[in-house]
Amino acid sequence: MKINKKNILYVLLLALALLSIVSMLLGPVFISPKYLFQSEILWQIRLPRIILSALVGIMLGISGVILQGILRNPLADPYILGVSAGAGVGAAVAMGAGLNFVFLGMSSIPILAFMFALGAVLIVYKLAQVKGETSTETLILAGIAVSAFSSAVLALIIIITGQLQSIYFWLLGSFSMASYTDIFTLLPYLLVGSIFAFFYSKELNALLLGEEMALTLGVDVEKVRLMMVIVASLMTAAAVSVSGLIGFVGLIVPHFVRLFLGPNHKMLVPTSALGGAILMMGADTLGRTLFSPIEVPIGVVMALVGSPFFLYVLRRRYKAKR
Amino acid sequence: MKALEVENLICGYKDKVVIKNLSFTVTAGEFVGIVGPNGSGKTTLLRTISGLLPLTMGEIRLEGGNFKNLTRNELAKTVAFVPQLMEPVEGFSVLDMVLLGRTPYVNRFSFESAEDIQVAKWAIKELQAEEFTDQDVTKLSGGEFQRVAIARALAQEPKILLLDEPISHLDLRYQVKILKLLRKLRQQRTIVATFHDLNMASRFCQKLMLLKKGEIIAYGYPDEVLTAENIWKAYRVKAQVKKNPRTKRASLVFLP
Repeated sequence: MKINKKNILYVLLLALALLSIVSMLLGPVFISPKYLFQSEILWQIRLPRIILSALVGIMLGISGVILQGILRNPLADPYILGVSAGAGVGAAVAMGAGLNFVFLGMSSIPILAFMFALGAVLIVYKLAQVKGETSTETLILAGIAVSAFSSAVLALIIIITGQLQSIYFWLLGSFSMASYTDIFTLLPYLLVGSIFAFFYSKELNALLLGEEMALTLGVDVEKVRLMMVIVASLMTAAAVSVSGLIGFVGLIVPHFVRLFLGPNHKMLVPTSALGGAILMMGADTLGRTLFSPIEVPIGVVMALVGSPFFLYVLRRRYKAKR
Repeated sequence: MKALEVENLICGYKDKVVIKNLSFTVTAGEFVGIVGPNGSGKTTLLRTISGLLPLTMGEIRLEGGNFKNLTRNELAKTVAFVPQLMEPVEGFSVLDMVLLGRTPYVNRFSFESAEDIQVAKWAIKELQAEEFTDQDVTKLSGGEFQRVAIARALAQEPKILLLDEPISHLDLRYQVKILKLLRKLRQQRTIVATFHDLNMASRFCQKLMLLKKGEIIAYGYPDEVLTAENIWKAYRVKAQVKKNPRTKRASLVFLP
């Protein structure tokens, strides 16, 4: 079967639009389509939440694609590699230590989160590298170590500051506090990140052949790698600072896109962005309607779905190797 | 016209000099085979010309221009390198794989252009791999994939094509097929490749360079290079050289 690849983008956009309409209607209170646009609930609560979930989905989806590309490993994901946890520590430091200020018109939380996320990814990257190659095992183990350390630091921050409730719920990953301010906080990171990811997709493609072949294709491998690590950390950090720790988006979405469209980043980046938005929006709508009026945080929904999926991909990868 | 000039080249790895003061020139349109025992510096030489290893001393000129003045991207448009073993990219079709060769030309602000696709298809055709165009690269046999690997390099539209042991892991039928294709390609571009099989190299290359421990033992037409004396110098193996009556090329018989 041959799919016209560029049409896929339109199909995904349409799906996203339909899903957002469904999502606007659903919730603890069902809004009749007739009065939808007069409803305060829509404008004040649901709409910012829907938009935020889509933006976070885009950012986590692209971060996953980038990390998988530069590490040449389809199991890389900001959550599994401990980048999210690192960003979480940064954000919690900003919140807990009262470092929440505005610097040059930008909130300090994502900036601190970014610094810690970058630190985490660089540590994982260095630890996982054995003779210039990163193996799946070392990558995941390094991610576990960094995540565990970050969790401990987070627990310390919670204990010291006594802000158990607010930080803990934020950590679980949730869009329930979504506001338009969050959306404006995210936008610059999203724009810069996705533009860079798309414009550097030819380099990410060349890296599929390995470091040496990429060099002979004119790619400045060291520079591209560093730049892409920064872009992925930046987007993960921004997403974590508004919505907490949400895992597996960057793993699941690119995996399915590759299955249908192959690993060409020119397609992988935009389709994973849209796919991430659809997944996040859909999962969040499920989370807030399934056990209504009780709300399941999105981070919990994703972990419930994502962990088995991760094991499945891991297993398949080892089978394929034999 | 000179496609490649190497002058007093010294290069190798951080802790080990491999190429010791090498000088030679390759004329445009030649197919040069580099032969020599393991550790003679064949691969190191190719990797240095590809820009993968730094040159410690000396000079490399590509079509008269100094190698050092080229950016990585310009170098990628001049020299293409086919490594001894290239890994197929999971999920890529042959066309996708060959399109990677267009990296130095692809516009970063848009999708691959029609021209990029056209050149990739041309490269696939040159390597007689059209029947695989849409096939998954991981499903190809070694000989089929090697043609795709060379097509990928050809899609770079290089002036000089470098191949590291392009036939050493193939069966006889594919060895001959690849060499015939390369001989045909040389009409448009310069080819430098390393070989272990002296008879094959002698049969298909226009010129041979015999290396030992980073130095040239002989460089010239195959029957000048492959003499019993040179073989002894390079390999410490006794050989008898005959002229193949049909091809008129030097051919070796190794003596016990």
